[in-house]
Amino acid sequence: MLNSRRLALFHCWVAFGAFLPAVLLGAWQMLMRSPLPAPLDDPGAYYASVTLHGTVMAYVITTFFAMGFGYAVAATSLGRPLRGAAAAWAGFVICLVGTAMAAATVVAGKASVLYTFYPPLLASPWYYLGAFLLVAGSMVWVVLMVVNMVGWKRDNPERPVPLAMFAITATALLWAWAAAGVEIELVGILLPRAFGWSDLIDAGLGRTLFSVTLHAIVYFWLMPAYIAFYTLVPQAAGGRLYSDTMGRLTFIMFLVFSLPVGMHHLFADPEHGSGFKFLQSFLTFLIALPTLLTVFSITASLEIAGRHRGGRGLLGWIATLPWEEPMVLAVALSLVMLGFGGFGGLINMSYAMNMMIHNTSWVTAHFHLIFGGAVVIMYFAIAYEMWPRITGKPLRSKALARWQLWLWFWGMLITTIPWHIAGLMGQPRRIAIFDYSLPLVARMASLVNISVIGGFILLVSAILLITVLVRSHFGERSVTEPLRYALAVNPPRQVPASLNGFALWNAIVLVLMIVAYGYPIGQFFFLKSHSAPAVEVTSQSAAAGVQ
Amino acid sequence: MAREQGPFKTDNPWPRIGWWSVAGLLAAGAVLGFVVLGGEQQNGPRLGTWTAICRALGIASDTGPATAPQPPLQTPTRIAWTAATLARIAGGDVKHGEFVALNCAACHGEQGVSQSGLFPTLAGMDAGIIYKQLDDFRAGKRSWGAMNAIATALSDQDAADVAAYFAGRVNGLAPILGENFHGGRTLREADVATRLAFAGDPARGIPPCAACHGPSASKPGAPSLKGQRPEYIERQLAAFAQGIRQNDINRQMRTVAMQLTPDEMHAIAVYYGSGAAPAELAGR
Ligand code: HEC
Ligand code: HEC
Ligand SMILES: [Cu+2]
Repeated sequence: MLNSRRLALFHCWVAFGAFLPAVLLGAWQMLMRSPLPAPLDDPGAYYASVTLHGTVMAYVITTFFAMGFGYAVAATSLGRPLRGAAAAWAGFVICLVGTAMAAATVVAGKASVLYTFYPPLLASPWYYLGAFLLVAGSMVWVVLMVVNMVGWKRDNPERPVPLAMFAITATALLWAWAAAGVEIELVGILLPRAFGWSDLIDAGLGRTLFSVTLHAIVYFWLMPAYIAFYTLVPQAAGGRLYSDTMGRLTFIMFLVFSLPVGMHHLFADPEHGSGFKFLQSFLTFLIALPTLLTVFSITASLEIAGRHRGGRGLLGWIATLPWEEPMVLAVALSLVMLGFGGFGGLINMSYAMNMMIHNTSWVTAHFHLIFGGAVVIMYFAIAYEMWPRITGKPLRSKALARWQLWLWFWGMLITTIPWHIAGLMGQPRRIAIFDYSLPLVARMASLVNISVIGGFILLVSAILLITVLVRSHFGERSVTEPLRYALAVNPPRQVPASLNGFALWNAIVLVLMIVAYGYPIGQFFFLKSHSAPAVEVTSQSAAAGVQ
Repeated sequence: MAREQGPFKTDNPWPRIGWWSVAGLLAAGAVLGFVVLGGEQQNGPRLGTWTAICRALGIASDTGPATAPQPPLQTPTRIAWTAATLARIAGGDVKHGEFVALNCAACHGEQGVSQSGLFPTLAGMDAGIIYKQLDDFRAGKRSWGAMNAIATALSDQDAADVAAYFAGRVNGLAPILGENFHGGRTLREADVATRLAFAGDPARGIPPCAACHGPSASKPGAPSLKGQRPEYIERQLAAFAQGIRQNDINRQMRTVAMQLTPDEMHAIAVYYGSGAAPAELAGR
């Protein structure tokens, strides 16, 4: 198992190492947008910073974290060494090189295109190449997850694949499908233009391809959190998982329903008719199913644990839960944020209501609450759970860890709730400076200032996170117990093949993708061209700002 | 464990559930999106099924009542920045352009570097812009006596050639994307010209000039201004503001210029105009 320990540790260190500077950039961006004075007061630097913040948070941290977590899960849940560790290290290096390339290009001010690329904006080819390598390197991980799961199934034909392994493989497959969109956009559209092999950029096609990635990537970020919900939380709470089958169904539904829905990011785009926008919006609503299923299962599992610990009455079990465990605390905080954020998400995914909040700060606030809040707080909890098992050194102080989680929770609420409101008042997103002397903008000033306070609470929390992890690193070696997963109330002895593998579900995804995206992508090749001259931002004034 | 369950064996429960529910969802979504919603019109009767589907696919334009008389079409220019236009301009021949340019030197100066405030400097201007302006003069979309006559005498190819020639001259306009000579939160900048150039004035809906004319970014059709004759800049701003010049696509310049005061026009002209350093403007 040793081979996966180092892998998990290295991946997580890259993820959390990149996290702190990215939070710092975020806090500075909050300050820039506010009426308060900000150091390095330059709009060009702002866009470079937003690009770096987004790239690191959305691609780097999440990918490295999922990979590291995946290797740990594969080794511990299957109870045998990881197959293909050498390939895993190769993938790690490729991802690291890609990350360094992309980050250096942004810092040099040559890629202020934001992490979603926004063609016809054009960045330096090094940025695109870096992003491509990062995603391509993670495909090694995808293959390894599948190889490990299939290999284990072959060797243990009579046993069901452990839920944790089943779920992480679902995550890997989801990522493989999702990443195809951005990879094709990079190779087919952005890189050729960046290298000067073509003159124009088909912005419509580029955006459509990116939309394939853009929704599912969110679920790629989310899945580690959900895996923790199902397999680690009940264990940490001292209970059992309510239902193993429900877990499997949840991950299957995420795989199937998070892919053919990305066009809800294109509601305001002119290159598609209303039909497919509606169809994908309709399919988006189905993602509520696995989410609600999860909320139900996890609450039920916690109730089982609480009652097992002596809790009585309708709600008495809540008080008896081991709230001193970071994992238990995190899941509660995460579910609260998921509740708020999920409600906002319903508005975003509705074809008509979306128009009210399109391109406003509401959207930015929404994904910070869901991803930065509900998901990332589970990353922290997973790290607190995993670190001692990997390094053999316990957390020096669980109290500090709890402080960190609480600060993150309040920081995120204080940041995002006023941010949502400012969005409803019409504040546009992706704007470096606002003129608060205007009466219309002045109304938002106090909201934005509150957000800034939240931003700085988040920064403090991020510093605490690194402190907790580093301190435990220099602690004494004492525990060696590997990562343990929750047992179900009725542990499955047999599961139907369809809930033990992905052949059926991949076939369904394929059909769904062809139906949902076949025409929207195909039309570009026989109907309309949206090619436009590229707008190069490589020589933008940003360079002067970030030096 | 029913190990032999294949993905397409619908006599097994899970594949059956999976495929049927997916088929049902797709059918329901398609009927709602393409037939029901596609046929709905805000002010009019429902469309037929076939028309509704085409419309939902985005391959038919709105079939609403189109019988009302249309006002005569007025376009600011004949040029659109399409791939074909850009290819046409890129095909300009510098050698022949140099020959054509012999007709221009008398007014626009040796190699396109103007010596008089009446004539704009052409050296270093983007070829596409020169080409567009010549076409606008030729089509009467922009008026200035002699230029209209001269442009009419040029063929389309001549225009592309001479544009390529002037675009390649040096010592004229500064490159459109260049150093950021004024960063910072220039919204609070005291100097009027720098503030307008780099931050604009959101209160009046004026975007920063630099976002289109460089050096921060460039937009198709907007020339570099740094190094242009200040008198010419000021006159053009006034012409846009008064609607004398109307050849800007989407009224990009008219909306901007209409908001500027004469003092601001002057300050900006001096700022961009050749040889004027921003510091000299501090007193204005
Ligand atoms: C008789 C003098 C004269 C001659 C000769 C002349 N131009 Fe001009 N040109 C002008 C004037 C004056 C203007 C500015 C008109 C205005 O103020 O609107 C102008 C404007 C232009 C513009 C628009 C520039 C801008 O910044 O928008 C272009 C392009 C141009 N001329 C090209 C040419 C070319 C090419 C030739 C030679 C084939 C030529 N001109 C010959 C007087 C002349
Ligand atoms: C939205 C983009 C945009 C902004 C912002 C903008 N311009 Fe322009 N400007 C243009 C375009 C495009 C043209 C060319 C119009 C045409 O096609 O004839 C132009 C033309 C001009 C011209 C005439 C140049 C010539 O050679 O004939 C001047 C002078 C000018 N702009 C000054 C300004 C100033 C000063 C500001 C800031 C207060 C400004 N512009 C802001 C897009 C812009
Ligand atoms: Cu989405």
